Amino acid sequence: MTEHQTLEKSVRDKAREWLESGDLKYFIGYDKGKYSSKARPAFIYNAEDAESLVVDPTCASNLTRYVVDEVQYKPGRGEKPDTRPVGIVVKPCDSKTLVELMKENILPRERVKIIGLTCRGIVSQEKLEEVLAELPGWDDAGSEFELDDEKLTVSAGGKKKTVAAAGVLAGKCLVCTHHNPLVADEVFGEPVEDPETDEFGDTRDLEEMSQEERWDYWSAELSRCVRCYACRDACPLCYCEQCVFDKYKPFKWNEFSVKLRENLYYQMVRAMHLAGRCVDCGDCERSCPMGIPIRKINRFLLKRAWDRFKTEPGVNIDDPRMFSSYDVGDPEEEIL
Amino acid sequence: MSEFEPKIIGFLCNWCTYTGADLAGTSRLQYPTNLRIIRVMCSSRVNPQFVLKAFQEGADGVLVSGCHPGDCHYLEGNYHARRKLTLLADLIDWMGVDPERLVISWISASEAPKFAEVVTNFSKKIKEMGPQRKFSRGDE
Repeated sequence: MTEHQTLEKSVRDKAREWLESGDLKYFIGYDKGKYSSKARPAFIYNAEDAESLVVDPTCASNLTRYVVDEVQYKPGRGEKPDTRPVGIVVKPCDSKTLVELMKENILPRERVKIIGLTCRGIVSQEKLEEVLAELPGWDDAGSEFELDDEKLTVSAGGKKKTVAAAGVLAGKCLVCTHHNPLVADEVFGEPVEDPETDEFGDTRDLEEMSQEERWDYWSAELSRCVRCYACRDACPLCYCEQCVFDKYKPFKWNEFSVKLRENLYYQMVRAMHLAGRCVDCGDCERSCPMGIPIRKINRFLLKRAWDRFKTEPGVNIDDPRMFSSYDVGDPEEEIL
Repeated sequence: MSEFEPKIIGFLCNWCTYTGADLAGTSRLQYPTNLRIIRVMCSSRVNPQFVLKAFQEGADGVLVSGCHPGDCHYLEGNYHARRKLTLLADLIDWMGVDPERLVISWISASEAPKFAEVVTNFSKKIKEMGPQRKFSRGDE
């Protein structure tokens, strides 16, 4: 049995056990969707449905967004609030989101039962599609994916293909520093040693540019933004019940029109609202239909917050939050 | 075409810099008239959105000024403002907009000459840089 199949079996068994005991409202995991190269979120209410859960390198989305929606749900009139915990399966990057949500008192710890998986990375859909297009006779239905430290093995219909892992891993996984879940009731999978990574290597190309070159880069990228707000809706930490970009009363902060200057304002404000909180789960960039490198903005602020204030989000529940704490000796060279 | 006169929005803390600006006035210190002052109760009242909004509405420069660290009327407001605004200045630079267009300074109620100097230098610099067009809605 391969490593992923072992993980899959333990997740299914644990989900079934929790659901059968009746103290779980439902379980959030992944199942095979229409395309086997794209696992989709699944909500399991009955113990016998737990067999459909999967764990493989295509489980890309961050499921903690659904937990936020669950704890923020307001029961209708006459409806009894159901505060039983929900079960969830998380990758290490998603577990950082849970830590951050608990830190911000949004998510009570007793409202979730967490299965944490150790992780060697997930594949990027775009990169995977490119690779699969090169495999002749590949059929999307019923294929299996197996990832280890060096290679991704795709098997379908008795045929096997191997590609280098570095070529298909999602961008966030190439710079990941946490391969083991930080908060979990149950941890499955062999502990993975955190490799030495060039942590902020992916922002260096922009840092070396001049300011005008950066402007050309960002104006080309952000003028493509269609302001669908998918990045906001996918983000588990963008949980405001009233978003500033939806409001036009009493004051309209931003035009709804799709123009470069409005898009720039939107992305900058979104990034500032996530500064010191974003744990780089990468769901904004993954959900962007226009392929805008949104993570580059968030990662820059993550890096600067570390350089300046030595704060790192999503690691420890007891850490102070960046904007609600201060240090008397914070750097202030540029202040006159 | 007449000479370019920059518009500068100044968010000044009620307790220090606003009083300092007042003192500069009563002391008859000369400084350029490009500064439009908005009085806020504390520099930490200045949401990063205020600064970006000012740029969007056509400001060529934004000055945020408050008490020196440790002197805040609300004890710790300017420490919070410092974290927010230095990070915002970094972000403005990262997105390719001139970071010189945002000036953060600590000016106490008695530092009228410093206030006049900061405003003079800032408006001279913005005059050299020309109008701000990256955020501005002005051209339509």
